[in-house]
Amino acid sequence: MFESQKHVFWQALLATILIFGLGLLIGFALEDARTSKISNMYTKSEIDLIDMRAQSDVYGIGTLDCGKVVEENIKFADRIYEEAKLLDKYQEASKLSDEIILEHKKYDLLRTLVWTNSIKIKQTCNASYHNIVYLYNYRNLGVEERAKQQVFSKMLQDLKDRQANNIMLIPIAADSDLASLNILLGTFNITSFPTILIDEKTKIENVENVTDIEQHL
Amino acid sequence: MKALVIIYLTFMFISMYFMFFFFLVHIRNRTKLFEHPPKTKEKTISIIVPAYNEEECLEGTVRTVLDADYPIEKIFIVNDGSTDRTKEIAQKLAKEFPSKVILLDKPNSGKAPSINYALKHVKSELFAIVDADSYPDKDAISKMVGHFDDEKVGAVTSAILVKNRGKFIQNLQVMEYVIMAWTRKLLDFVGGVWATPGPLSIYRKSAVDKINGFDESNMTEDIEVAWHLVKEGYRVRMCLAAHTYTNVPVKIKGWLRQRIRWDIGGIQTIGKYKSSFLKNGMLGNFILPFFVMSMFIGLLGVGVFVTQGLRKIIGAFLLTGYSYMANTQVLSLQDVYFAPSVLNFIGGLLLVFGFIFTVLGLLCFQEGKFAREKFFTLLLYGTFYLTVYPIILVIAIYKMAIKDIKW
Repeated sequence: MFESQKHVFWQALLATILIFGLGLLIGFALEDARTSKISNMYTKSEIDLIDMRAQSDVYGIGTLDCGKVVEENIKFADRIYEEAKLLDKYQEASKLSDEIILEHKKYDLLRTLVWTNSIKIKQTCNASYHNIVYLYNYRNLGVEERAKQQVFSKMLQDLKDRQANNIMLIPIAADSDLASLNILLGTFNITSFPTILIDEKTKIENVENVTDIEQHL
Repeated sequence: MKALVIIYLTFMFISMYFMFFFFLVHIRNRTKLFEHPPKTKEKTISIIVPAYNEEECLEGTVRTVLDADYPIEKIFIVNDGSTDRTKEIAQKLAKEFPSKVILLDKPNSGKAPSINYALKHVKSELFAIVDADSYPDKDAISKMVGHFDDEKVGAVTSAILVKNRGKFIQNLQVMEYVIMAWTRKLLDFVGGVWATPGPLSIYRKSAVDKINGFDESNMTEDIEVAWHLVKEGYRVRMCLAAHTYTNVPVKIKGWLRQRIRWDIGGIQTIGKYKSSFLKNGMLGNFILPFFVMSMFIGLLGVGVFVTQGLRKIIGAFLLTGYSYMANTQVLSLQDVYFAPSVLNFIGGLLLVFGFIFTVLGLLCFQEGKFAREKFFTLLLYGTFYLTVYPIILVIAIYKMAIKDIKW
């Protein structure tokens, strides 16, 4: 009797490998679809950024319409800020593949370009809006660091809701290992994270009331 | 891939394997679950009823056994130094049934020593152990005895079900006992029965004599004796058609004490038979690895759960503190947004399989109706009750570490 049952052991193993493998495949497909979505959003954003920089160059030949450039820059920054939030959610749910980390890195590079572009525009146009750069870590976070960064994100969201187009909000992961970003961090002497850098001058490293942050503007 | 993800996936793979294993055994044998071999020849049988402070149940148990449709040679009531009226009730029964009921009185020393003490008086081919708070069905013994026609069978156990119902904790145990009986029967089909529970199990006297009786140092002599018999080449069978109803703990404290004892006994048994790993037939190749794996999965689960749970609690505490400092909302819509991962997907699948598994087990008995009526209990059983097991295991390990081992 027992002899006739011994096949159950490997049959169960086979069934498990099949169902579990199917689950993993679906997981890979899901993560791949999300990475593709992020990748497409990135490509669109990258094209838009190049287009904006090209516009500046074209206007440079004639007269620069500062109002339009500033408006488009802030609109663009707002869009990639929303995309960054989605990217973070997807990255948190990404368990099997590390491809999304590469997308994150590409986005950080894009946001660094947006930042440098914004510095230039502010100088050229003597614009009155404020650059708010949020520098954070996203790898190997401790419990305290994670909680602190969550609150920083909320503080900045509140600030954006209050100030709207008066600020350009650019979140960048500082541990993306990007040479250009590292140079900027060195230039502004930013060594601890999270840090909020206001107009390339004021650094906020501790949790503060949004009203207090507004006073730095 | 992160180490934690690999741990989760391993955990899920092993759990899924065991679930499919049980599903497959059930599907292959679904028509044979309640089959039992017919009696071809009468075998003499005696009953041992170890009793310690059982004044409330003893008489009912003995009268139930006397009412069995199988001839009982003797009933040995072992009064294990009770401090209540147990001895008095046993004396009354011995007086009422002088040819059947024998009172063996001894100072308190535990269940296994009580059984071994009684075994010295047993002269029949078979003997059954019936806990003093358990009530076998009239036909339970006669359904089980046929198994002993196979000379390799050393013990046969029955389906233990819950007698005292009504309270919430009892209803949870109703489900638990049904699932235990069902899975034990499924293990029977592969020769993997690993325990002969006290409410009603029958043993071949010569087999138990060969292993020198029950281990008196073990907290769960019913697990140890089954392992020992399998090690010696005997088969341990399970008869799902034979029902025994037992009283289960009605208070959390009693329930917890019972479960800790089961776990301590299980660990003691693993320790005793660890050298049989991958040896001694089903014991080393299935029972021992199955037992160890179940405990390992439980401990791994509780380890990950506690670590991650603590991280979440500390994180939530810090987040609340920082949010207060920053005067921002603690929870926003953004936090509620949920992107499911592959772990959520496979975890969900396991939950569904687990639910089907439980319902399937309950439907095998009349308890299917009970499950429909007590759907909320079923939900709590699957989500909360089972998750407490590993925590109890941790407590048991702690108690063993500090040598706080008592019945």
